[in-house]
Amino acid sequence: MSTNVTVKKPEGEVARVERTRDRQTYMPNVDIIETPDAFVVLADVPGVSADGVDIRFEQGVLTLHGRVEPRQDEQHTCYLLREYGVGDYLRSFQIGEGIDSEKIEATLKDGVMELRLPKSEAFRPRKIAVKAS
Amino acid sequence: MNLIPWRNKREGGESEPAADHPLARLRSEMDQLFERFWREPSALGMADFWPRMSALGPRVNMAESDQDITVTAELPGVDPKDVDISISGDVLTIRGEKKQEKEDRKRDYHCVERSYGRFQRSIRLPGSADPDKVDATFRNGVLTLTLQKRPDARPRRIAVKSE
Repeated sequence: MSTNVTVKKPEGEVARVERTRDRQTYMPNVDIIETPDAFVVLADVPGVSADGVDIRFEQGVLTLHGRVEPRQDEQHTCYLLREYGVGDYLRSFQIGEGIDSEKIEATLKDGVMELRLPKSEAFRPRKIAVKAS
Repeated sequence: MNLIPWRNKREGGESEPAADHPLARLRSEMDQLFERFWREPSALGMADFWPRMSALGPRVNMAESDQDITVTAELPGVDPKDVDISISGDVLTIRGEKKQEKEDRKRDYHCVERSYGRFQRSIRLPGSADPDKVDATFRNGVLTLTLQKRPDARPRRIAVKSE
């Protein structure tokens, strides 16, 4: 049931526009895992659907923004228990050299976003064969 | 539950300083902070003591409308097949397991904030909920349970006759 999400590339200078939506923004919890050929970022973004995802990579910063549609009319809801707030998710990561930004992939499944940042060829570990003379 | 009186800015008739004034922004941030503190302890640093999913179980919201009671829980990364919901008496129990990603080849973790493992949470339902009429859906990592209210617990409108 995973959906492919395209990574949008910024077009020229992107102005930092403040969002005017009157919503809370939360920082999602993430795991960052390194495999031999890529970095994998797993972010918990419950409530985000594939069309609410906006991933940008600009000037070495990867920004993950997940839009969450209100689950109910917040103004007129009578809460009996309220342990979490519903809001958007936003988190940025500084990406070092060695990531092939053209090949960043993202998938979304059951409220978890998986970002795959492949290492560029030059940074992958290589085995050096020793020739016996 | 507000212990500190705070005035809703939109209601107040007093003239507000220009919204971009640093003091106005500070004030609005402080208002938001208090509002969030009382309404949802999760939003502030207290989330550190209660991660999104931990041994204490997932965090739950429960809302009431005229017709039903809605319980939502955030369960990101949990397979719906691994979630077990039961109601006994007036206690709702959500139980499940969040499994670690299947690949166990060599991996280096740089950052671990998400948690895995079994979780369980029991909540007492209000007496107005009918435990026999429950509907559960799981979408984008959010579990939603809708319990209909007992017919006698629904508000009735009483028409006033004019004579």
